Amino acid sequence: MKTVLLVDDDHDFAELACRIVEYLGHDACLANDLASARQWLETQSFDHIFLDFMLPDGSGLHLVDEIRAAGIRTPITMVTGHPSVKSALSQLCHDGLNYLTKPVDADDFRNALSPSKNKAKRTESQAHFGVLLGESTKMKHLYKMIERVAGTDANVMLMGESGVGKEMFARAIHNASTVTGDLVNVNCGAIPKDLIGSELFGHEKGAFTGANAQKVGVFEQAENGTLFLDELTEMPIEQQPNLLRVLETHTVTRVGGTKPIKVNCRVISATNRSVEDIATNDVLREDIYFRLAVFPIHIPPLRERKEDIPLLAEHFLQGLNKKGNSQYVIKAADMSRLVEYDWPGNVRELKHTIHRAYIMADHDDHSLVFDANFASPFAQAKRMVEHAQLNRASIPPQVGTSSRANAIQVPTPEMKPGKTIEEVERELIYQTLESVEGNKTLAARMLGISTKTLYNRLNAYEGETQS
Amino acid sequence: MTQHDQGTLAKLVHDARKPLNQISMNSELIKLIAEQPDSQQQIIEIANTIIKATKECSELLQTLVEQGNDE
Repeated sequence: MKTVLLVDDDHDFAELACRIVEYLGHDACLANDLASARQWLETQSFDHIFLDFMLPDGSGLHLVDEIRAAGIRTPITMVTGHPSVKSALSQLCHDGLNYLTKPVDADDFRNALSPSKNKAKRTESQAHFGVLLGESTKMKHLYKMIERVAGTDANVMLMGESGVGKEMFARAIHNASTVTGDLVNVNCGAIPKDLIGSELFGHEKGAFTGANAQKVGVFEQAENGTLFLDELTEMPIEQQPNLLRVLETHTVTRVGGTKPIKVNCRVISATNRSVEDIATNDVLREDIYFRLAVFPIHIPPLRERKEDIPLLAEHFLQGLNKKGNSQYVIKAADMSRLVEYDWPGNVRELKHTIHRAYIMADHDDHSLVFDANFASPFAQAKRMVEHAQLNRASIPPQVGTSSRANAIQVPTPEMKPGKTIEEVERELIYQTLESVEGNKTLAARMLGISTKTLYNRLNAYEGETQS
Repeated sequence: MTQHDQGTLAKLVHDARKPLNQISMNSELIKLIAEQPDSQQQIIEIANTIIKATKECSELLQTLVEQGNDE
């Protein structure tokens, strides 16, 4: 509840406004001229002032000057019955001073009395662990996992597509645990290969050319706190044994130093690769994986928690509105488009889409303007590749009839413009044969040709290489 | 239209806005009051104020027409 002062010489308007404000749950005091307004202001303090522009004993703007000169920061809304004064007023308006034109409806009062600041507070309080937004079942499950792991000192590995907010999850785990140290962020993919050692473990003065001063490594910086290793799988594999040593011994030795230093911090690592990818592509040593993924957390992509999209979109918009002191909204039709889109770039892409629409926003109807097509060039390219793979993947079930043939994944031949059909055909035949360990009958079935044709082709290829 | 005429017109329009504002804001009030229990009597009173304001507005428009005819 707020205490509101209404200053207007139009008795009917003032009384009506009073009643509306009271129905909205606030206390209202009335003044019909500047003199009585001054009297009110002397005797009590107000949370908001609605002030007419032209009053019998002077301009409302004089009162604004007086109030501000007295050091009172009460928000003031100028009310005018002259639409022509509107544009002049809008130029005067700045922080803590707004304007409304008559007729003023209940929503105008509502917005004036509880501006977007209050709304921002609302989502802040909705944020879990101070940083995570979302009420979907998948997110709620993750909140539970974060709570559990925060109480332990286990190392956590966050897995999820690019843009799902792995850094936010790291911050959430850090916030939820009762550690005294800091959260230190390191992007393993962004450190030059030669400097990884010095970055992680620090170096002594003069350890190498350019080491002009002693440097404390990130493990030491994160003492009694959390070390977040982002894009862990981008760290060169030959550098990983050093990391393993720290994880096993809980000590670091600075580059050029001799004394091992004890370290104590939780390591949260993140990767956008899947477990299968990590296992097959040799991007992470197995021993390191076991050390760091004591507690793996899979963060679902945004398309698997679509119900959170409106909440996130509103949150990003509120941030922009607050920063730009604006009141833009997202139209219902646009919101449903946002929910429908599958967001290959996840929350990051959503955030950028909102920002772009905010920049393009329509000043007249105060709404965001979205592109006809949300997809970024990256997303479009990715989708084309996936589409092509999907088409290829659908070939074997059509030609192969045995269940075994269906189960085998055909390695995709490299398709590039400039290759002849014969070259691609040959590659496909050899790769198919390889995938079924040389079983020609099965390979022929998968390729949709007779065994005889397959033999003929293979004979021809052999003839070529021999000649 | 002379400058004097324009001035009169502007004053009339301004005067007409007053009852229009009343109509609009009283309607807002009805919306708010309607959510309260036992608000029937109050709503009727507000509706009467609205009717009064429409008549006022209508009279103002009539003066506008008559002034136009006088000239």
